[in-house]
Amino acid sequence: MSKKIVLHLVLIALTFALLTACAAPTPEPVKPTVPPASSSSSVASSAPASSSSSVAPTAVPPTVAPTATTPKPTNTPEKAVDLEIWLIPTSSQAPAPADNWIGYKTIKDKLNINLKYVALPTGADGETKLNAAAAANALPDFFETVSTTSERNKLIDLNKQGLVAPVDSLLPMMPTRVKTHYNDPSSFTLANIDGKQMGFVEKPNLPRREGLVIRKDWLDKLGLKMPTTVDELIAVAKAFTTQDPDGNGKNDTYGIGGFFDGSWGGGQRFAFIWGAYGVPDLWNWGDPANFGLSVRTPEFRQALEKFRAINDAKIIDPDWATINRDEFRIRWPQGRYGIMWEDFSALSSPANYAKFDVNFPTGEWVPVPALKGGSGKNYLAAYGSVGIFTAVSKKSMDAGKGPAIAKLLEWMASPEGYYLLGFGVEGVNYKLDKDGVVTTEGLSDPKLAWTDASQQANTQMRNQLIYINDPKEVQARYPSSASKNGRTISQMAFYQFFSTQPWLDSIPGQLILKPSNQADLQRYYNENFQAFALGTKPLNDQTWADFLKGLDANVNAAKWEADTKKLLQDAGVLKK
Amino acid sequence: MSQSIAKPGRGMTPAPDHPLAHRARRLALTLWRHRWLYLLLVPPLIYYLVFRYIPIYNAQIAFKDFFALKGVEGSPWVGFQHFETFFKSFYFNELIFNTIIFSSAKLVLGLPIAIILAIAIHESRFLFFRSLVQTMTYLPHFLSWVIMLGLLLALLSPSSGMINDAIKAVGGNPIPFLTSPAWFRQVVVGSDIWKDTGWSTILYLAALLGINPDLYEAAEVDGASRWRRIWHISLPGIIPVVVLVTLLRLGNILDAGFNQIFVLYSVPVYSVGDIIDTWVYRSGVLDFQFSLATAVGLFKGVIGLVLILVANQVAKRVAQQSLF
Amino acid sequence: MFKSFRRDELGFQLLINAFLLIVLLAIVIPLWRVIMTSFTPLDVYMKGGTPMFQLPWQWSLGAYEQLLTHPTFPRATLNSIIITLGGTALSLFLTIPLSYALSTRTLPGRRIIIALILFTFLFHVGLIPTYLLVAKTLGWSNNFLAVIVPPAVGVTNVLVMMRFFEGIPDEIKESARIDGANDLQVLWSIVLPLSKPIILTIGLFYAVYYWNEFFSPMLYLNDQNLQTLPVLLRSILIGQNFSEYVDVDVSQAASIESLKSAAVLLTMLPMVLVYPWIQRYFTKGTLLGGVKE
Repeated sequence: MSKKIVLHLVLIALTFALLTACAAPTPEPVKPTVPPASSSSSVASSAPASSSSSVAPTAVPPTVAPTATTPKPTNTPEKAVDLEIWLIPTSSQAPAPADNWIGYKTIKDKLNINLKYVALPTGADGETKLNAAAAANALPDFFETVSTTSERNKLIDLNKQGLVAPVDSLLPMMPTRVKTHYNDPSSFTLANIDGKQMGFVEKPNLPRREGLVIRKDWLDKLGLKMPTTVDELIAVAKAFTTQDPDGNGKNDTYGIGGFFDGSWGGGQRFAFIWGAYGVPDLWNWGDPANFGLSVRTPEFRQALEKFRAINDAKIIDPDWATINRDEFRIRWPQGRYGIMWEDFSALSSPANYAKFDVNFPTGEWVPVPALKGGSGKNYLAAYGSVGIFTAVSKKSMDAGKGPAIAKLLEWMASPEGYYLLGFGVEGVNYKLDKDGVVTTEGLSDPKLAWTDASQQANTQMRNQLIYINDPKEVQARYPSSASKNGRTISQMAFYQFFSTQPWLDSIPGQLILKPSNQADLQRYYNENFQAFALGTKPLNDQTWADFLKGLDANVNAAKWEADTKKLLQDAGVLKK
Repeated sequence: MSQSIAKPGRGMTPAPDHPLAHRARRLALTLWRHRWLYLLLVPPLIYYLVFRYIPIYNAQIAFKDFFALKGVEGSPWVGFQHFETFFKSFYFNELIFNTIIFSSAKLVLGLPIAIILAIAIHESRFLFFRSLVQTMTYLPHFLSWVIMLGLLLALLSPSSGMINDAIKAVGGNPIPFLTSPAWFRQVVVGSDIWKDTGWSTILYLAALLGINPDLYEAAEVDGASRWRRIWHISLPGIIPVVVLVTLLRLGNILDAGFNQIFVLYSVPVYSVGDIIDTWVYRSGVLDFQFSLATAVGLFKGVIGLVLILVANQVAKRVAQQSLF
Repeated sequence: MFKSFRRDELGFQLLINAFLLIVLLAIVIPLWRVIMTSFTPLDVYMKGGTPMFQLPWQWSLGAYEQLLTHPTFPRATLNSIIITLGGTALSLFLTIPLSYALSTRTLPGRRIIIALILFTFLFHVGLIPTYLLVAKTLGWSNNFLAVIVPPAVGVTNVLVMMRFFEGIPDEIKESARIDGANDLQVLWSIVLPLSKPIILTIGLFYAVYYWNEFFSPMLYLNDQNLQTLPVLLRSILIGQNFSEYVDVDVSQAASIESLKSAAVLLTMLPMVLVYPWIQRYFTKGTLLGGVKE
């Protein structure tokens, strides 16, 4: 009996070995050993760009002035150019576009490009995948320099390895895109390394879009005023925790809720406390003369004392150190918190707010102005995000695909590309109202609206490469909705409020390089910080001094500070 | 080994008195006798050569500054630089200690439970019930740690967990199991045992089933009670597998369960929860320090090798079992 | 039933089965909670998590619906099945001969080979060295082979199977040899028929490994058509956690926690169905069925 089993298994093994070898597309032929630094060791398996040769240097664009929308290609292609791009998708839970996606067809027809889009997994997985491809010198043509810590650092590392190509030559080929997407020199130069533009910095996903919000209905019920200082906030939070503000007779509410996002100290969710004291960021940007780590300032410690007091008083959900974003976004709609830091759309978009609204129709969130802490300047928080960093692989540039990439990017900035990849097909996925704003009203089949879950696969590049954050677009992306009891929940109102608060500009922080012992330094910093915050370690002059001493003695923070200061001075950010 | 009567003409002529030639003849005989075995060995050994030894060759990047464009051979040597980065970490001692503690605890506590469970299932006379237990207990093995975190939070969270609700109900202070260094290790080891014990018993059950039932019958006839039968027949019967599994786990003692720790740990419990792999993750994998991760892997391998050699000797003496 | 117990037997059985009952409850109750979570309607979950008890008609299929109607779900499942079957077959094809050959105590060079194999077990060199071999040297990027072949032989499985083969009494093998059989025929006609349980067990271990394998498909496979089920489910399980700005929430039918639970249960399902089928072979004495000392 088991003889049969074994025989079957052998046959199955052989069959499936054959099947799998056939089922997968033909792998690219790759030379087994890497020849030293020659321009390209592998060529795409199907039709190569017709102007390529294996020893071509970086493709030089012609001096022909490109037209407004479609730049003339450097060659007259008979065969289409194959481009593979790797990006984090806008919606990681939705699939990548299907093979019969109209975008692929349009790009093939209009631009003569066979586009293959690969959605990278989010988080460390995507970074691992990119790293591995880099190690094997198998990076795709155009990709996001994915990193969970710093995309700029990743670009710098890739550049050191010689794996990315300068894109200066491509910029003249994309005049529209440069005007619409790359029009902020302060962020675009972040991808400029040693005088050469080694990649692109795309548009950020709407700047300064998060903030502090509070349950107005709880304030009203308990007869409290909107807090303006950190101390007032603590008093309100105490009331929220102990006085049953939701009136359900149970002691199940916390004044404050949040989670640690894995960055520094308490993370971005609680930085507003430090913002009140003028030091919301890791680095002390507000005081260029004494630039260094904020942790060395007295204000930092004052803010930490407040945060510790909040924890001691048990008016904050103690799980903040353990839970993650998902869990947090389950908890606050369950009505557990009175005060929290949240992204405006995660708070008030129709789908997200509905989860809260369904159980709390009378619940109302209102934004809180930046709190005051000490006597100096106060901020809501620090703002240091830029858009994603993208790059062209050196292999691809050497194979002459640069112009095709430029063509694609330029087309994405054109009206046709913008609407198709940003929203979909007019009349099917969206309509333009009388002001030219994208809307989903009046569509024959609402299930095909671009905001529907089923359509997400068709606009996976919109946050990364398409959107430009102009007012009409923002209005379309963030519509208002009606709550169950008829109130208007306006995303734009939250956004307006948040973005006009005082923010500390920490974008120059993008220039900072990681120290060689990043993991240890960050662990030492965070471990002590959270021990002070949670009360597991006493906080007094002695312990604080020991902590600061340890930063230098144990994990070399002073050296990092000195290096960073010099780097920023050389970059002209700090005065020498 | 008996004379191969089946092969006339060989070994019948008197061998020359020289002992080496004699031994060479016997060796040749044995090789010929087992020629089919060597044939069977060819595909697996090719697999090992290609898919295990070539990567070990590639692992020389642990001693190099790896450049993708130069490849493995072309990258420059830097000796033990990456190892030094690892050894010099401010937390090195703690990482090693935590890693070993987790592995040992999971082994020392989990193994007896798995064996007891296997024996209990084996001995139960209620066939349906024991099939049910067998089928249910292995299921948690398939739960990902992401789900386990949800379960553990529902159980242990100081704000909303069931255990802490009970504690609060009797007037006590909630215990932050997941963020307290005093409790984290217990949570990790306990949840790991919960998750994988049922799966481990599969192997031990298969071993128990391999014991000749006549042995049991004979013992019963001799008047041995159930307990004695378990002690003298069942346990010895699964000792080979137990020793094998233990030895192999000792070889991997510096793998303490990255997936679990990574999901469950947080800054407040770094001091007891940070293991080698989580440190490497934070330092090596995410940056471009491929060589660092490889170097640490080699380090783990060396330690594991030493441990296995030592444990193998011990097992030989104590249990007359060994890996080789 | 109880009549057939002796007196001391009764106490023993009570103890054993009480223990099993406790274990069963300890396992089933949390599992039940996971199952319940997957069926909890969105508004109920948002009110306060998984309820203690839900009546079947209150269950919501939203999470399962969302997963099963995911456009890539059928293809991903098919790919996982192909990889699992192909991988298990290849693994057994390599493991059985290896274990059998190494279980022959008289084989010259046996100890060396075992040592060489063990060595590779200890020095698991990690991601990049293997990736360089598979993706660069062999060129298996975007190919199922990259997922199936590298992990094909597990040292633990080889050694375990070896132990079982060693446990087959030499007399049986010798008697076949005297009849003129060579090693191959002994394997085919004697050893394999006696080894059904262990082959099934090891086969199960391999199958579970391949079915759950997410990392190498994520790493090596780029085409969405080649994506496997665990990769798809992981993007649902953790994908949103990294997205601070998700303007359009794809999990509209069920809470993210329900989705996660449903995803995990769906992955578990094939194993749950397969294992009882294999259990049939796990009856007493099958290993030495019919052979008396």
